[in-house]
Parts: sequence; C-alpha cells; structure tokens
Amino acid sequence: MPSDNCKVLIVDDDPAFRRALLTSLAASGFDVAEARTGEEALLVLRDKPCDIVLLDINMPGMGGIETCRRIRNLSPRIGILMVTVRDAEEDKVQALEAGADDFVTKPYRLREMIARLHAVRRRLSPPDEASATVLRAGALTLDSERRLVTKDGAEIHLSPKEYDLLSYLFKHQGALITHSKLLQGVWGAEYGGELEYLRSYVRMLRKKIEDDPSQPEYILTEPWVGYRFRNPADAESPVSDL
Amino acid sequence: MPPSHSVRRAALVLVRGVVLIAAVTAVCYRIHLNSASAALLFLIAVVLQSLDSRFWEAAIVCVLATASLDWFFIDPLFTFTVTDPLDAVTLLCLLIVSLVVTETQARSRSQAREAKRQRENMEKLYRLGAELFAQAPSAPLGPPLLEPFRTRFELDAVCLFDQASQELHEIGTSRGDLAAKTRDGYISGRNAAYPELGISVRSLRERGTLLGAIGFEGLRNPELLAPALAGLAASALERRRAFRLASTAAANARAETLRSAILDALAHEFKTPLATIVTAAGGLEATGPMSPDQRELAGMIESEAARLGDLTSRLLRLARLDREAVKPRLEPADPAEIAQGSARRYAKLWPDRQISFHANGEPGEVRVDPELMSLALSQLLENACKYSPPDARILVELSAGEKAAAIDVRNDGDPIPPNERSHIFDRFYRGTNAKQTAAGSGLGLYVARKIALAHGGDLALLDTVQDGVAFRLTLPLSKSEASVAE
Repeated sequence: MPSDNCKVLIVDDDPAFRRALLTSLAASGFDVAEARTGEEALLVLRDKPCDIVLLDINMPGMGGIETCRRIRNLSPRIGILMVTVRDAEEDKVQALEAGADDFVTKPYRLREMIARLHAVRRRLSPPDEASATVLRAGALTLDSERRLVTKDGAEIHLSPKEYDLLSYLFKHQGALITHSKLLQGVWGAEYGGELEYLRSYVRMLRKKIEDDPSQPEYILTEPWVGYRFRNPADAESPVSDL
Repeated sequence: MPPSHSVRRAALVLVRGVVLIAAVTAVCYRIHLNSASAALLFLIAVVLQSLDSRFWEAAIVCVLATASLDWFFIDPLFTFTVTDPLDAVTLLCLLIVSLVVTETQARSRSQAREAKRQRENMEKLYRLGAELFAQAPSAPLGPPLLEPFRTRFELDAVCLFDQASQELHEIGTSRGDLAAKTRDGYISGRNAAYPELGISVRSLRERGTLLGAIGFEGLRNPELLAPALAGLAASALERRRAFRLASTAAANARAETLRSAILDALAHEFKTPLATIVTAAGGLEATGPMSPDQRELAGMIESEAARLGDLTSRLLRLARLDREAVKPRLEPADPAEIAQGSARRYAKLWPDRQISFHANGEPGEVRVDPELMSLALSQLLENACKYSPPDARILVELSAGEKAAAIDVRNDGDPIPPNERSHIFDRFYRGTNAKQTAAGSGLGLYVARKIALAHGGDLALLDTVQDGVAFRLTLPLSKSEASVAE
C-alpha cells in the first residue's frame, strides 16, 4: 500500500505496543516517530512536524485528551487519530470535541488502522475531491453544481435538507462526525441537541440510497456518538458492529 | 429498709417523744407555769419531735402533749375535764397547730426525699446513657448492652427482643418468665405492666418504627423509669441498626468500586497486550515475504486475538449496562427493520445456522433506542446460535398485537430444564447446558431484559415450545407510548 512519506507520530505509554506498531507501520511504508507521553509528543512535534498523530487516550501525565487539545491548537492541519481501550461513548465524544479526527478502539487490526490513517490523510491533503463538483462513492455520485445524486446512473430524488446532509457526509468521507457537529454543519450553529430530528433524516436518506436500509453500507452508525460515511472503495473501512 | 428495722426505729422515735413530753411536763409543773405558757413549750417540743419523724409518729406525740397539758395544767387538774372555754381553745390550738406543723414537716421531708430520689435516678440514667453510647456501635446485643441496665438500676432481670435479628437476650434471674412477656410485648407492639411480678415491658420504637421490646423485672418506680430506660434502649438499638445499614451500604459501595476497578483494569491491562498481539501479527506480513503456511498462521494469530478483543469489548459493554441504569434514547422505528437487520447480521456471522426472518402482518411504529434494541436482539440471536447444533434453524418472527409488537427468537436445541426457567434472567446465572456448551458471562439475558423493561416492554421465555427454545421481546407500539419509561 503506497504510504508515500506520510509521517506518523505514535504516542503511547506501552513500550511493547509502540514497538509492534512502529515496526508494522514502518514496514507498511509510513515514516514513523514515537513518544511515550503527551509532553514528549509536544516536544517531538516541535522539532519534527508530522502528518498524523496516533494518540492513546489513557496515558500518565497530561493524558490523551489534553494532549489532543494542545496539538490541535498548535497545528490545526495535523491529523489526530485517538486510540482508546475503553469502548465508552463519552471518551469518544470527548476526544472528537477536543479536536480528534477519528478514533479506534484497541485491539484493532493493522489493516483497519492503515485504512483509517489513509482516510485521515485524504481529508487533510488539499482535497481535489471536496472542491470537485462531482464526488463518487461506490455506486453513488453527488454533483454539487446541479445538486443531483445518482445511484448506478439513476437519479435519486432528495429533499433539500436530505441533499445537504448527504453532501456534508459525502465531503467528510471516512470521518466520524458527532451528532452535534453534523447538526451544526447542516442545520446551523444554533442546532446541536435535536438528535431525533437528525435520526429521522438519516433513516429517510438510508431508505433512498442504501440497498438494504437495515444493513447500511454508506451511512454507518457509531452508536451514541454519530455517523460515518463509508466509501465502499475503502475496503478496510469498518462496518458498524451493531 | 427491712420491716424489723423500721419498727425499731418507730419505737425509738416514739419513746424519745414520750420522754420529751414527760420532761417538758416535769419542768413546767415544777416551775408552776400557767396553761398558756406550758402550751407554748409543748408546741416547741412537738415541732422538735416532728423534725425527723413520720407523720403518724409525730401525731401520737401531739396527742400526748395535748393530753399532758389538759391533765397537769388545766383546771380541774388531774382530770381530762375542761371547764373554762379559754382552756378548751388553748388545747384545741395546741392540737391543731402541732398537727399542722407535723404534717407540713412530714410533707416537706417527703418531697425532699422524692427530689433526692429523682436526682439519683437522673444521675443513674445519665450514667447509663453515657455508658451505652460509649459502646462501639458494632458491639453485639445481649449482655454488653443489658448489663449496664441491670447493675445501675439493681434489676433482678432484664430482657431484650431485637426485631432485626429476631433474637431474645436475657440476663439476671427472672421469677416471672420475663422472656415470654417481653416477646409478647414485641408481638403486640404495646407496653405492659405486671405489678404483682414487678415486671414492666416496653415496646421499643424510633421515629415510629418498631425496633423490638425490653422487659424489666424488679425495677423500682417503673412508671417513671421504664419509659426513660426504654428510650435509651431504643436509641442504642437504632444506633446499632444505623451502623449495620451504613456498613452494608459501605460494603456494597466498596464492592461496586472494586468491580468497576477490575473492569477498567481488565479493559486496560487485557486489551493493551491483545492490541500488541493483533498489531504485531498484522505487521508480520508487511515486514517481509512469508511462506503460505506462515501467512496462514500469522492470520490465525491476528484473527483469534482480534476475536478475543471483541469478546472482551462485548463483556465490558454488558458489564457497563449491568452497572448503570439503562436510559434509552427513544426514536420512532420500524420493528420489522430492526428485527430483520439483526437476523441478517447474524446470518452472515453464523453461516452454518439457518437464520430466517418472518413478519406476521404489519405492526405499527415503536419508539426505541436502536442501538440498545439491537444489542438486546443480538444477545438473543447470539444465544440461539451458541446453544444450537450446526445447521439448526433459527427463526426471528415479528407479530403485532393491539398495543405491542412482539419479536420472537426461536431455535432448535435442547429446551431449558423446567427448574432453570425461572432463573435464566437472573444476574450471573448460567444454565447447566449453557455451562457445558459455550462460554458466557451470565449477564446477557439479564441485560437484554433490562433493556426491554427500560423501553416499557418485556423479555420472556415462551413455555409453549416443545422442541427448542423461544424468547419473546415485546415493545409497546407508539400509540401506547404513555407506558414507556425513559
């Protein structure tokens, strides 16, 4: 898998895990650096900027969330992928609100981690896709100039808000978007808690774009946290486990 | 005071009075005092006599003094006859004044005695209270609690019935079956007195709650003391009860903290090395060319370690739902969509089971938390797959009533033995077959039912199925959403 000089900083207090991940990612073509704590990570980043930080949430000292917040303040364009052992929604929401781009729960397969790293990097690189007028994901195309969505060439009729929601998700392919971020991005800054509203729109959208709305392939639910738009072309993108 | 001693004392006091009156008579007679002057001296003698004698003792001396005045000093002398009305008045005055003085003296002495006794009792009660409250609240009931009552108030016996332990504690020697009377007092919840036996029984209450009963035998002045002593006993019992409750609550809180700590430790200490194994196994392929066998083995390490990780995550999630109150985030949903989605997902996960979905009619809309509901259904399907043989049929069936939708999950397999049916939703319960067939935490069905109940529905084991096992998850339809508990 081509990982052309993507610089990754692994921040984790467990030496065995750091070593395994460092070797595996280096062998997969990444340019990898490591740090044991949040404080050390900030020092490393000052000397050697990188593209993506793989940041453990539970670390002694400053802790992952605070480190994430400081890195985000220092480098708004850096990718931050949080790693957690606790499958707790509040941790995930907290991490995303602190500025993380995504998170993975330990243990994860290396392929999944690499797919996430690529997804984060794609979103960071000056996106041709985001500015392009026609976006593609599997059988779906979204023409932002004509506000037109097609599936296998056939037009799908969407209401204006459904189109806005799909367009937002489309432009953030692979990223986990929290409910509040999605509501604010599509409906406006004054929204944030209207979860049921959002869910009913997602249901309608799934009925229109998914082959089987009960087994969605495009709009995946991250339980109690938010949604993720999956491009079927990203083979290792996770499918919701619920 | 013993009776013989009392009689001797009374005789002495009387003799002293007689001697005193005789002396006054002799002196007055010798110096030829008139009746009025003699009457005054007699009065002084009576007052002196009444200072330390009881009323009847002093009264006898009063009568003697009056008689002596009449006999020796009032004409005609040496008779009890009175001719002059003034003399009659003198005699009457002496009698009345001396009796009044005597009575007043006796009364004030009695009051002083009573006040002294009260003071002593108060002091005893105070010391008893201090002694009881100095005891550790963890001290056992029985002799340590009762002994201070007995010694401080010189009781023959004292008996306590404790409601919490339903135990009877008695010390001392009872002649009137104090234990039975104390138990009766607790059962009736009323106070009782048996004066002929010297027994007084009081029920013990604290803020209206019956804590037990206490019986005293040989208690002096029970009307006054029994309520106060019972009050102290009730406070001591309540103090022990509160301590027990606090200890239990503290122990529960400690156990819960420990459990949370173990879970968090499990999450961190167990999943971190697993993550290292999965990552290292995945990295093997990237680090260099491998033979097909090596690749297969590395793949097995990766997938099995990942499976272990998934199982851990699942167990942790169940444990969290078990620990915390389930708060569903309700939204309108189509029950068919939820049930069908779960069935399809498990059909992919367990290709060697024949999992199918069937809907009877079209139920309306339900309000559920899709994630929680999916978790509950997953648990039912997981069990159905785990506890059925390969190629077994598993049917997810949706049917609708007037007020609720029902999702049945049926599978071929060994039925649940009748004696285990009432326990399968118990926390940490695992059936005999389950223990032999597959691994599990004993939390799954408990949590699934907790989720169903939090939605205003229920999860039950159907007993109409002969071959196999069927669970029914019911959910109220949106029309009856008033019953939904959020």
